[in-house]
Amino acid sequence: MHAVDGVSFDLDEGEALGLAGESGCGKTTTALSLMRLLPYNGKIVSGSILFRGRDLVKVSDLRIRKIRWKEISIIFQGAMNSLNPVRNIGQQIAEPIILHEKVDEDEATNRVGELLELVGINRDRRRDFPHEFSGGMRQRVMIAMALACNPKIVIADEPVTALDVMIQAQILELLERLRKELHLSMILISHDLSVMAETCEKVAIMYGGKMMEVGKTVDVFTDPKHPYTQGLVAAFPDIRGQRTMPASIPGDVPSLINPPSGCVFHPRCKFAFDRCTAAEPALAEVTPGRRAACFLYPGVPEVTPRPMTVEAR
Amino acid sequence: MGATDAVVRSGVVSPFQASLRVALRRMQEVWARIRHSRTAMVGLAILVFFIGMAVFAPWVAPYGPIDRVADTSNCVPGVTCPLSPPSAQHPLGISEEGADIYSQVIWGSQISLIVGIFSAMVASVLGTAVGLVSGYMGGWVDEVMMRFNDVVLSVPWLVLMIVVAARIGTIDLLGLILVIGLTGWSITARVIRAQVLSVKERLFVERARMIGSSRSHILMRHIFPNAFPLIFANTILTVAVSILSEAVLAFLGLSIYNTVSWGKVINQAIGGGALVIGGNVWWLIVPGLCLVFLVFGFYLFGFALDEILNPRLRRR
Amino acid sequence: MARILKVMVRKGVNAAITIFGIICLNYALLRLMPGDPALSLTPRDPKYQGLAEYNRELFGFDKPPWEQFAIYLQRTVTLDWGVSYRLGLPVFDVLMRDLGWTLVLVGTSTVATIIIGMVIGSIAAQKRGKPFDILSTATGIFLYGMPIFWLGFLLLAVFEKGSIVGHYFTWWPALPSQGYYDDMLGPWSWDGAHLTSAAQHLILPALTLTLGTLAGISLVMRSSLIDVMTEDFVTTAKAKGLSDRQVLRRHILPSGLPPMVTLIALDIAFVIGGAYQVEVVFNYYGIGWETIQAIDNLDFPLLQFIIVVGGVAIVLANLVSDFILLLLDPRIKVT
Ligand SMILES: Nc1ncnc2c1ncn2[C@@H]1O[C@H](COP(=O)(O)OP(=O)(O)O)[C@@H](O)[C@H]1O
Ligand code: SF4
Ligand SMILES: [Mg+2]
Repeated sequence: MHAVDGVSFDLDEGEALGLAGESGCGKTTTALSLMRLLPYNGKIVSGSILFRGRDLVKVSDLRIRKIRWKEISIIFQGAMNSLNPVRNIGQQIAEPIILHEKVDEDEATNRVGELLELVGINRDRRRDFPHEFSGGMRQRVMIAMALACNPKIVIADEPVTALDVMIQAQILELLERLRKELHLSMILISHDLSVMAETCEKVAIMYGGKMMEVGKTVDVFTDPKHPYTQGLVAAFPDIRGQRTMPASIPGDVPSLINPPSGCVFHPRCKFAFDRCTAAEPALAEVTPGRRAACFLYPGVPEVTPRPMTVEAR
Repeated sequence: MGATDAVVRSGVVSPFQASLRVALRRMQEVWARIRHSRTAMVGLAILVFFIGMAVFAPWVAPYGPIDRVADTSNCVPGVTCPLSPPSAQHPLGISEEGADIYSQVIWGSQISLIVGIFSAMVASVLGTAVGLVSGYMGGWVDEVMMRFNDVVLSVPWLVLMIVVAARIGTIDLLGLILVIGLTGWSITARVIRAQVLSVKERLFVERARMIGSSRSHILMRHIFPNAFPLIFANTILTVAVSILSEAVLAFLGLSIYNTVSWGKVINQAIGGGALVIGGNVWWLIVPGLCLVFLVFGFYLFGFALDEILNPRLRRR
Repeated sequence: MARILKVMVRKGVNAAITIFGIICLNYALLRLMPGDPALSLTPRDPKYQGLAEYNRELFGFDKPPWEQFAIYLQRTVTLDWGVSYRLGLPVFDVLMRDLGWTLVLVGTSTVATIIIGMVIGSIAAQKRGKPFDILSTATGIFLYGMPIFWLGFLLLAVFEKGSIVGHYFTWWPALPSQGYYDDMLGPWSWDGAHLTSAAQHLILPALTLTLGTLAGISLVMRSSLIDVMTEDFVTTAKAKGLSDRQVLRRHILPSGLPPMVTLIALDIAFVIGGAYQVEVVFNYYGIGWETIQAIDNLDFPLLQFIIVVGGVAIVLANLVSDFILLLLDPRIKVT
């Protein structure tokens, strides 16, 4: 089964890209693929991930291990499960520092203290265990950990989904501030469009394991091209306003094991026509700076083998 | 909301019937998965073989379990007894008591299965009841039951069983089943209790309680159907343990007097010189292999079922 | 530290309650059965004439039940456990002597089982779905279902001095069994000859017990590690750039071990059950062997305290495991 297919985007230094889509559409899988971290039953079949001129799909295991966390780090959805319950947080934050940078224990402890303060936690709490923190604080610990080695790219996979609304705002502000201060590139994954509207220059919309539309955030939200994006945007009455859960588009999330033929969105698309069931649209430029995968736009080709390409400069 | 509610709402059925119905539907889904698990199917094939052996024993076995087929009163096993070693007529030889060992091995499957299955059922019902009540009630009821459970877990039952049996003098089938069943429930109780605690955490129980359902009602309608598959898998594994318990007791000399079980055959084989140079080794090996394979079958099936039913192992 | 002390006090109280429960249960079971307890505590053999009276006196069978119970409790606590009929020695002395050898056997094989089982289990978990995993899991389940006494007889048939295989192939490695050490060496002393002989006599029983209990550890080790491997923090650890070995050592094992400790403690009862069988098969004169002799001779004074000693051993093993668990898992608190 192909969980994710036809994914393609690029990310410039200091830029934030939003990856949006209903849950189960393959966002996490995409993020894991970027670091070559698919679980034991998954693998990257084809495609390339260009990072500073190197293809991460092809580099050796040793090399990718050196890139992980040092260059690209990740903040997962649930901070409770992403921290090891039986080791204290100081040990866990120090671990990548000691691994990637030849520093001694004292230096690492010092760095842990600075990182904790950076995210607003008292440095004396480094000996505490994850279960002794609240959900929001744990996510702060995760953020401190993600920044431990001054990475170029931070992937934040639904960083606030599990938190309550007040805390969500705090964490998002923290992320945004740190991104600006540290000139980080960021991939922010969420099913909540309003989160993206506030922080991301670019967004990529995913559906059923495929990328539907990619472009500048303002453009995509003000003038969505793809019918799925149109539905999503319509479901958010005011994207810049209150954060609410989107009213859903009629129909179900498609099965990735047995995907519909042609365009994955056609069973729920009100514009669907003959060609949509017969062939699958490829992601192609529909207006300058905007790509969409939909036959409504002239010049959108059908897919032949679909490479997964991700570029980061 | 729990699947049971839909069933209850949709027709005039009691909560108990509804919970059974949901449990049954679950079982059907599970059966579909079992058919795709090679481990489970191998286990099941082994079980079918031995169950067949037990059911058809009267037709398959050439002699009764304790029939004398030869006069062995003057035998010195392996030395002067010409009837001991395997022959065409008696494939596994003849025992010291003059019985056909091949027939005894076939009949033995009955005791192993009957004792194994029924005492596992006794243990499961008891363990499930204790686990459900203890986990659901919590508080001092849980505390008292768990302390009692600790005691039961810690007592060396093997010794106690033999002492009790020695005091009573003999043991019959029902006694054996009760002795093994009444002493084997404590692990089941713990497993079920843990499961109840986790199910209890889930919201729908909270909601059902707020609507004003009685405690027994919640137990039957929500918790039992959720725990049922686990109870089933656990019972299968308990059968394996019970079969082994019966064998150990028989080996140590505690068995039903007027019939045979594999453990008893092994006991007699050792007494009859199976291990002496020139002795009849098959007398020891064949019943042992039967035991090993039957238990292996239950374990394979039980473990595969557990893996199918235990969502933790299925995740990702 | 305060946390550990608090939890251990509570566990200690629970253990004491459990031991008290075992003592009560033992009292009830042996006394609620039909017949005169003084008589049934006494073998029917005429040579034990008078013992019934002695027992009636000793255990106060002619007194009202609560007084009987008080006497029984007092005797139990003061280790005044009466005299074994078979041996004519104080029960307490007999049990302590046997316990030493049983501990040697159970200790050796438990250590071997834990080490080997965990290594096999963790390799299988890492190679999930590969031949090693399939082979070790299938063998494990097979061994798990093998009656320990039968396994013992097989090993006896194959490896014992003067056994069937050794009889036909003289080059075959043959090991002594029957007893703790070679009787020809005379009473026990701490010299090379005794130690070597004791070690040789230990191999077959300990090997049987290890093989019989190994799978319990390795199978659960495998599944508990696989459980942990799917946790998000393991993905985090990999994302940090740790090698598979580092992930295993620093993250998977530390959080996979607590459930193992609980399991090993639960397994102790199973191991003790196995030790009975092994001691009988190999005539290793520990508590298990003594038990069977006591049953054959209806040596009830000995039997009733074998039950108490066995129960206490299991409770203590659990207490130790709770302590280790506390050190391994910072989340455990007094509930
Ligand atoms: N290890 C796996 N094995 C099989 N299917 C998987 C695995 N991991 C994820 N999937 C499937 O891939 C799809 C995408 O999942 P995911 O990337 O987690 O979506 P999202 O993060 O957008 O919610 C889901 O339908 C999920 O069922
Ligand atoms: S290709 Fe067809 S079905 Fe797919 S989104 Fe466009 S119009 Fe709808
Ligand atoms: Mg996700």
